[in-house]
Amino acid sequence: MSQEIALLEKLLARVQRNAARPRAVLPAQSAAAASPAAPPPFAPPIEATSVAPAGLDDDLAPLDSSPVFESSPPEAAPPYGAGFDSSPEASAPAPLDHSVEDLLLADPFPSSSIPPAHPSLTDMLDEDERNLLVSATSPPPIASEDISAVMSRSDLAQEAPEELLEEDIIEMSPTSEAEATVPSRHDLADLNFDDEDQDSDLPGEPPASSPRHKVARAAEHLEIEEDREVPLKTPPPESGRQAAVALPPGVHAPLAPDIEDLLEADISPIGGVSARLPTAEQLGQTIELEEARGPHLELESALAAPPGRSPIDGPHEEFEVALPQREFGGGYQADLMPPPEARQDLEAHRQRMNAEARAPEDAPAPESLAQDPSQLPDEPTSGFASVSAPSNVTTDSYSESVSTVTVDAPQNAEFAPELLLRPELNPSPVAKYIRIDPLRPHTFLELLDASLSLGSN
Amino acid sequence: MTFDPSYALEFDFGRGQVRMVNAGERVVIPSDALLALCHGTNDDVVRDFGRRLGTEAGRRMNDRLGEAWQASLETVVEHLGGELALMGFGSLGLERWGHALVLSFRHSPLAPSGDFLLGAVLEGAMQRSFGRDVVAAKLMRDGDQVRFLIAGYDGANKVFGWLSEGVSWGDVLSRLAGADRGAS
Repeated sequence: MSQEIALLEKLLARVQRNAARPRAVLPAQSAAAASPAAPPPFAPPIEATSVAPAGLDDDLAPLDSSPVFESSPPEAAPPYGAGFDSSPEASAPAPLDHSVEDLLLADPFPSSSIPPAHPSLTDMLDEDERNLLVSATSPPPIASEDISAVMSRSDLAQEAPEELLEEDIIEMSPTSEAEATVPSRHDLADLNFDDEDQDSDLPGEPPASSPRHKVARAAEHLEIEEDREVPLKTPPPESGRQAAVALPPGVHAPLAPDIEDLLEADISPIGGVSARLPTAEQLGQTIELEEARGPHLELESALAAPPGRSPIDGPHEEFEVALPQREFGGGYQADLMPPPEARQDLEAHRQRMNAEARAPEDAPAPESLAQDPSQLPDEPTSGFASVSAPSNVTTDSYSESVSTVTVDAPQNAEFAPELLLRPELNPSPVAKYIRIDPLRPHTFLELLDASLSLGSN
Repeated sequence: MTFDPSYALEFDFGRGQVRMVNAGERVVIPSDALLALCHGTNDDVVRDFGRRLGTEAGRRMNDRLGEAWQASLETVVEHLGGELALMGFGSLGLERWGHALVLSFRHSPLAPSGDFLLGAVLEGAMQRSFGRDVVAAKLMRDGDQVRFLIAGYDGANKVFGWLSEGVSWGDVLSRLAGADRGAS
C-alpha cells in the first residue's frame, strides 16, 4: 500500500513537472527517429510499360518504348488507408504499440512493484503530448532499410529518462516489408486539408488530433490486443487498386500452413489408430441396436444323447445344436409371448378371422346357376329390377315385320327399363346398281341430234 | 358402199379447165392466197364462204349415198371426208365424247388462222346433208389437228363461255355432259 502511494506521488510529481515545463518543438531528427516505420512521402514512380512487340524493327523500338500510361499522381488516387496516415500523428508510434511478444511474455500476475501491463491514464496523456510534439513537424522521408531498433520513449523528449522501466521500452520490429513501406504522405505541400475539414464536419465526432480521440483509439487497440483479433473494417467504396492496411507493429497475418505438414496430417492416423481400421468419417453415425426381447436363450451342451439316437448322430462339439426332427416340424414354442407392437395386429387378425367364421351363417344361400331365376326368392335389393328375369312375357305383334315384347316389371321395381327392339326386316336388296348403256348411235344422224341437244336445256 | 375417188377430177389442159365429177369447174389456187382473202374480210363473209363450200360437199355426199340420214358414222366419215379431201381441206375425223360429236381435221393446208373457215365448211356440210343447223365450235388445235364440237346454239354458247374462262376442252365436254345429265 505504501508502495502504491509512493508510486502515485511520483507520478503526480512528474505530471506537475511536465505541466510546468514549457512545450518545445522536437528536432527533426528525433521526430524522424520517432517514426522509423514511416515510408517516403511518395511512392516510387511506376515504371513505364513498354508495349513494343517483339517482332518490330529496331527503328520503331524507341517510339514504342515510350511510356503509354503515365503513372498516376498520388493525389489522384490515394491508397486505401491514406486517410489514417495522412494525419501527422499517425506517423508516430501508437501509445500502446507493444509487440505481441511483449504482451505474450508479460507476467500475467505482475507484482505490486511493476506497474500493470495496461498503460495508465497518465501514460496515455504523456503519449499524447509527445504525439502533439511530433505532429508539429513533418517527418522526412527515410530510405527503405532495416528499421528494426530498440529505443526508449524518453528519447522522443530529448531528455534523460528519470526512470527507465521495462514497459517504457518498446521494440520497433516491423514484421514485414509491406508494413514498413506503407505509403503515407507527410509532405506539408501535399497535405489535404479538405479531408480534415470533412472529418471535422461530422457532428459529434472529435477531431483526430484531440486527446479524447487518442484515448478512444488506445482503448480500441487495447481491446484488439486482448482479443487477439484483427478488426474487420469495411473499406470505403473506392475503385482501383487499394493498398493493404498496415497492421499494428507486432501483429502479423497468420502464416500459410505448410502443405507437407497438412499432407502428413491427413495420411497419419489420428490418435494413434491403425491405418487399417476405418476412421470415424468412414464409420458414419453409430446406431445402437436395441437388445433382443423375449426369454433369454442359452445354448447348453447336450448332457446325454436320446436313447433312440446313435452316438454318431449326436453333436460333435459342445455348443453344436442339432436340427429339430420331423415330429417337431412346423411347431413353435407356445409360451413365447408376442412382441408388444404385434399385439394389436394379432388382435385385429383374430377378430377378422372370427367375423369370417360367422359370415356363412348370416349370408343367404348360395345361388345356383342351374336354378331358374324366377324361382329365386324375391328380395328387393335396389330400386332397379333385373331385366333378365321377367316374371311374365307376352308378345303383341301389331305387324308382321315389327315384334313387340311386353315385359311385366316386378312389383318392387320402381324403374323398369323399357326395351325397344328394332323390327325385323326381310332380306331385300339394300343397294341398287344403275347400269347405263353407252350411247351406240346406229346412224350419224342420231349422234348429231344427241350432240345438238347438249346444253339446250 | 365405199368412197371411190377415181376420176373425180378432170383436168382439161386444152381448155385449161379443172372439173370435178358431178360438179362444176374448179379453180386451183394457193392456200395462202385464200387465207389472205379470208383475213381481208369479216367473219360473216368467211362464214358464208365456208358454208357454201360445205354445202357443195354435202350435196355431193348425198348424191353418192342417196339417203344420208340412214348412213352410219363410218359411212359419213368416209364419204364426207372423201369429198373434203378432194377439195384439199385435209383429212376428216370423227370423235364421240358421250353424246358429243367432235369432228376434226388433220393435215389441213390452211394455217390455224383458217380454222374459222374449216368450221364454216363443216356447218354447211351438216346443214346440207342432214338438214340441221349446227355450230362448229373450235375446241382446240394441237399441231396439225383441229377439233370442232358440233353442237346447237345453246350448247355452243356455253362452250364458248367456258373456253373463254380458260377451261380446258376436256372439262368443257365434261361440264356439257354433266349439265345435260342434270337437266334430264
